[in-house]
Amino acid sequence: MPLIETRNLSKTYVMGAENVHALQDVSMTIEKGEYVAIMGPSGSGKSTLMNLIGCLDTPTKGEYYLNSKKVSQMNDNELANIRNREIGFVFQTFNLLPRATALHNVELPLIYNGTPTRDRQDMAKLALTKVQLEDRMDHKPSELSGGQRQRVAIARALVNNPSLILADEPTGNLDSKTSEDIMVLLNDLHRQGNTIIIVTHERNVARHAKRILSILDGRIAEDQIIKESDRNGVH
Amino acid sequence: MIAGSLFKISFDALIANKLRSSLTFLGIMIGVTSVMTIISALEGMMGAVAEDLSALGPSTFFVQRMGMITSEEQFLEMIKRKPLDLEMEEFIVNGCPDCDKVTPRSGTQAKVKRGNEALNQVSIRAARANMIDIVDVQVEQGRFYTSEEELYHQKVAFIGDKIREVLFAGVDPIGKDIKINNQKYTVIGISKKRGSPFGGENEDNFVYIPFATYMKQFGRPGRYLSYIIKAKSVEKLEDAMDQVRVILRSYRHVPYNEPDDFSLLTADMILDFLNQITRVFRLGLIGISSISLVVGGIVVMNIMMVSVTERTREIGIRKSLGAKQKHILVQFLFESLILTMTGGIMGIVLGYIIAKSLMGMIDMNISPSALAIISGVSISTGIGLIFGIYPAMKAARLDPIKALSYE
Ligand SMILES: Nc1ncnc2c1ncn2[C@@H]1O[C@H](COP(=O)(O)OP(=O)(O)O)[C@@H](O)[C@H]1O
Ligand SMILES: [Mg+2]
Repeated sequence: MPLIETRNLSKTYVMGAENVHALQDVSMTIEKGEYVAIMGPSGSGKSTLMNLIGCLDTPTKGEYYLNSKKVSQMNDNELANIRNREIGFVFQTFNLLPRATALHNVELPLIYNGTPTRDRQDMAKLALTKVQLEDRMDHKPSELSGGQRQRVAIARALVNNPSLILADEPTGNLDSKTSEDIMVLLNDLHRQGNTIIIVTHERNVARHAKRILSILDGRIAEDQIIKESDRNGVH
Repeated sequence: MIAGSLFKISFDALIANKLRSSLTFLGIMIGVTSVMTIISALEGMMGAVAEDLSALGPSTFFVQRMGMITSEEQFLEMIKRKPLDLEMEEFIVNGCPDCDKVTPRSGTQAKVKRGNEALNQVSIRAARANMIDIVDVQVEQGRFYTSEEELYHQKVAFIGDKIREVLFAGVDPIGKDIKINNQKYTVIGISKKRGSPFGGENEDNFVYIPFATYMKQFGRPGRYLSYIIKAKSVEKLEDAMDQVRVILRSYRHVPYNEPDDFSLLTADMILDFLNQITRVFRLGLIGISSISLVVGGIVVMNIMMVSVTERTREIGIRKSLGAKQKHILVQFLFESLILTMTGGIMGIVLGYIIAKSLMGMIDMNISPSALAIISGVSISTGIGLIFGIYPAMKAARLDPIKALSYE
C-alpha cells in the first residue's frame, strides 16, 4: 500500500479567457520511507504538484490518495486536519512568524490539534534539539541566520511526527554551504525513517535523493531511481 | 484548550500593535461613555421624579381643574372648565367617608427678603397645616405650622433649604423674620435639602405658609386652586376617588351623560404620563449618542480589515500548519472583542462618573444602574461581534496558497 497515489492528477488555472494547464494527468505512487526529488525548469508545475500533495490545494481533475484516504474530495476542515497531522511543509521563504520566538513557531502546528501547553513546549523543544537549535529557542527569526531559520522551519515540520515531509526549494534562498548543511539534515531525517519529497532545480541538491521525478510542462517526463554510484560524495 | 491558546494569540497581537489597539479601544470607549452618560443621567432623573412623586404616598390623589393633556382637543375642552373653588372643601370633608385628609393648595411666585439679601421668584406654597401629614415634607429643623396658626392667619413660614442657604448664611433662621413681598413672616421650620430633578427650578426654593394667611396677602386663588386628598388607606384609594367624583359632579352640576369637568390624578398616573411624554425624547437622546457607537464600530471594522490584510501571510502560515477556518475566525473575533469589551467596560465606568458629576451640579445623586451596565456590556460585545465578524470571516476564508504568496 503506497503512502501516496495519484491518478491523472490535473490542475488548471483559469486566467481570464486562457486556461493554464499547470499539471496534466500526473499518475504516480510514492512508498513510505522514500526520498524523492522533483525536478524541472521554472514554471513546469513542481510547486503545483507539491501543493496538491501537501493538501494546500485541490485538483481540478483526478484522484489523490494519502495513506489510502481519498484526499481529492475532502472539504476544508478535513484538509486542515491532514495538513496538521500528516504533513510537514518546508518552504523556500521559511514562512516563520516574524514576531514569534523559534520555540513558539515550532509550537504552532500543535496549537491547532489541541495539544496541552506543557506537552507543546516539550515537543517543540525536542524538535528544535533534533535540528541542533536547542540554544536558539528564544530567538526571533530576525535574530537567526537563513540556515537557522530553515532549521526552525524543519523542526516545525517535524514536530507533529508527520507521515510526510514536503520541502519546496528549501535551499533556494541559501548559499551553497548552508544548503549543503540543510541537505545533510534532511538526509539524517530520511535515515531516521521519514518520507521526504523535495522540489529543486539544482542537480547538486537532487543528488541527495533516491529517486528523481522530472516534470516538464505539467507532466512527468522521467521517473528515475538513483544508483548508489551516482551518489558519490554524499554523506 | 484551543480557545485559550487562540485567546493568547489574539492578546499578543493586540499588545504588539499598541497604537492601533488603543485607537480602536478609544473609539469604542468614547461611544460607550456617551451612551452610558445619557442612560445613567436619564435613569437618575426619572428615578428622582419617581421618588419625588412617591413622597406623596400611594394613597394620595389630586383634584385639579385641568388634567394631563395629550391632545389639542383635550386641551380645548379643559381650558373651558370652571375653576375649582374653596367651598368644595367642606363638601369633600363631609361627604367622603374614605378620605382621611384634605387640603386645598395654591401658590405663586414672590420676592423673599431678609435685610439686604433677597431671592426673586421664590415659590410661595399655600396649604393647610395637615399638608405635613399628606406629603412627606421632611423637617430638618423646627416644625411645620399648626391648625391654630392657620385659623388665626398667623404669618409663619416653613422654608426650603435654598432660602436658609441664601438668606441665613451662618445664622439660625428659627424665630427670625423674612419678608415675602414686603410682608413680615416668622420662620418656624426648615425643610431637608431635596435637590432638583430637572436642574432648572430648584426644589429647595420654596416657602410654605398657611392657606388662610396666603389668601389674606394674595387674595383668593382662582384658577390656581387644586386639592390634595389622602385616602384612609391604599385599598380605599379608588373608593375615595369615586366618592370625590360623585360629590364634585353634583356640586358642579355635571349632567349624567357628560364627562367630568375636573380631573382626579394619582402619583402613579402622573409618573406614567411623564414616562410616556419623555419616552420619545429619551429614545432620541440614546439614538443620537448611539451614532458615536456606530462610528466606533466602523473604526473597529476598518482597523480589523487593515490588520487582516497586513497579516495575510501569517494567516497563510497558520492555515498551512493546520489551522481551520474556525480557528482563524475565532482568533480575529477575539481581537475585536477584547478591544470592544475592555473599551466598553471603561466606557461604563467613565459614563457613570460623568453622569454622576453632571447630576451633582444640579444637586442630584445617581447610583450605578443595572440597566446601564447590562446595556453597556451587551452593546460593546455586540459591536465587537457585528463589526468584527466581517474582517474575521474574510481572514478565515483566505486561500492558503494565495495567502502564503501575499507580499
Ligand atoms: N495561482 C495561479 N494562477 C494562475 N497560474 C498559476 C498559478 N500558480 C501557478 N500558475 C502557473 O502554473 C504553472 C506552474 O506553476 P508552478 O507550479 O508554480 O511552477 P514551478 O513551481 O515548477 O516553478 C506556471 O505556468 C504558473 O504560471
Ligand atoms: Mg515553484
